[in-house]
Amino acid sequence: MLKVSHSIDVRKRAQELGCNIPTSIALLPRNFEISASKEELIHESTTPTVRVLWRQNGITETPLEQPEEKFPFVSEHAFEWIGPTIFISAMLLSQNPHLMTIALNVISNYLTEWFRGIPRDSRKVKLRIITETKSGLYKKIEYEGPPDGLKDLPEIIREVHNE
Amino acid sequence: MNKEVESFLKEFIEVIRECEKFCFMSRGKEFQQEAVKKLTTFKQKVTSLKEQMIKVKDEDSANTMLSLENLIDAMINELKMWIALKEDNPNKAWDFLINAQSAVRTAAQAHSIAIDLNAEGYANKLHLLEKLLFPPQMFFSHGLIIEKAECSICGKEYGECEHIVGKAYMGKMCKIITKIKKMKEVSIVEEPANKHARMLQFTDEGVTRDFMTWRRIEKR
Repeated sequence: MLKVSHSIDVRKRAQELGCNIPTSIALLPRNFEISASKEELIHESTTPTVRVLWRQNGITETPLEQPEEKFPFVSEHAFEWIGPTIFISAMLLSQNPHLMTIALNVISNYLTEWFRGIPRDSRKVKLRIITETKSGLYKKIEYEGPPDGLKDLPEIIREVHNE
Repeated sequence: MNKEVESFLKEFIEVIRECEKFCFMSRGKEFQQEAVKKLTTFKQKVTSLKEQMIKVKDEDSANTMLSLENLIDAMINELKMWIALKEDNPNKAWDFLINAQSAVRTAAQAHSIAIDLNAEGYANKLHLLEKLLFPPQMFFSHGLIIEKAECSICGKEYGECEHIVGKAYMGKMCKIITKIKKMKEVSIVEEPANKHARMLQFTDEGVTRDFMTWRRIEKR
């Protein structure tokens, strides 16, 4: 399942909450859009794993947290893999589009190993991407489905960006 | 592959082939019990070789042995499931099946040797057994807010070290040890991460029944 919809202005929201303002690529807390304050922000349980994967593969993200600050994370013990919301800026897409592809491929490769030993029909991933269009709008892409489907996301993100 | 592990693999395949022929409902319980004993003894050999590989810091071999150790665990649990079903104890049988599924997954994550040994096929078989042998279950899943997460491999804050959950490092799986801040919710789900967390009994019109057997549970 793939759904594309309008999203909030990520930079403006980060500023309102007193967070670091993401410049290229960032991992957003699950309640980033609706949280009343920074103290209420909660990361997905998979956020630290994605951070390590990106770090090991030379992807530099802008953490929303200030130095020495930590957001708690939620653990829901669900069978599916619920990834963090990934913000990909227009700047990254125009200047280093290959970085976006690497960032998603790293997750996709990890999930191939993560889902080993689980019947194919039961392998399910949820991932949300927020990106900017060339005309300056923010769009949200929600993916829900088998891990193999992640390979199509870079092309979809590029299409949304070019809208 | 390490020569010792390579030659051990042949013995492993022989033992597995010998025991897997008892992984059917129709086989005699006494043979299944014997197979459990044989596999339990053999598992000690696997663990010992794994520890040897850890000592010489041969990570690939240590992870191979971790994978084999879990495949054996899976088969032991499957056999125990058949035995428990014959003993009219489906609740226990369910737990053995879920243990077997979990062990196959760990084996497959720990090293690709499990994939070569058809762990994916085995996982599918166990999944089918779940659907065919047991009625649909009602599972519970809890949502927790985690304040601190520790890496089981190095003890550092998870995410700050280089270990990744679900991967094997020198014969051990990386897990997250969490410090819970608060319980968010408990919900009923179809596909939980933990299939041990299920409804055991229910009460309808004053009658309490075992969810698995449908038998009445008398109030004490």
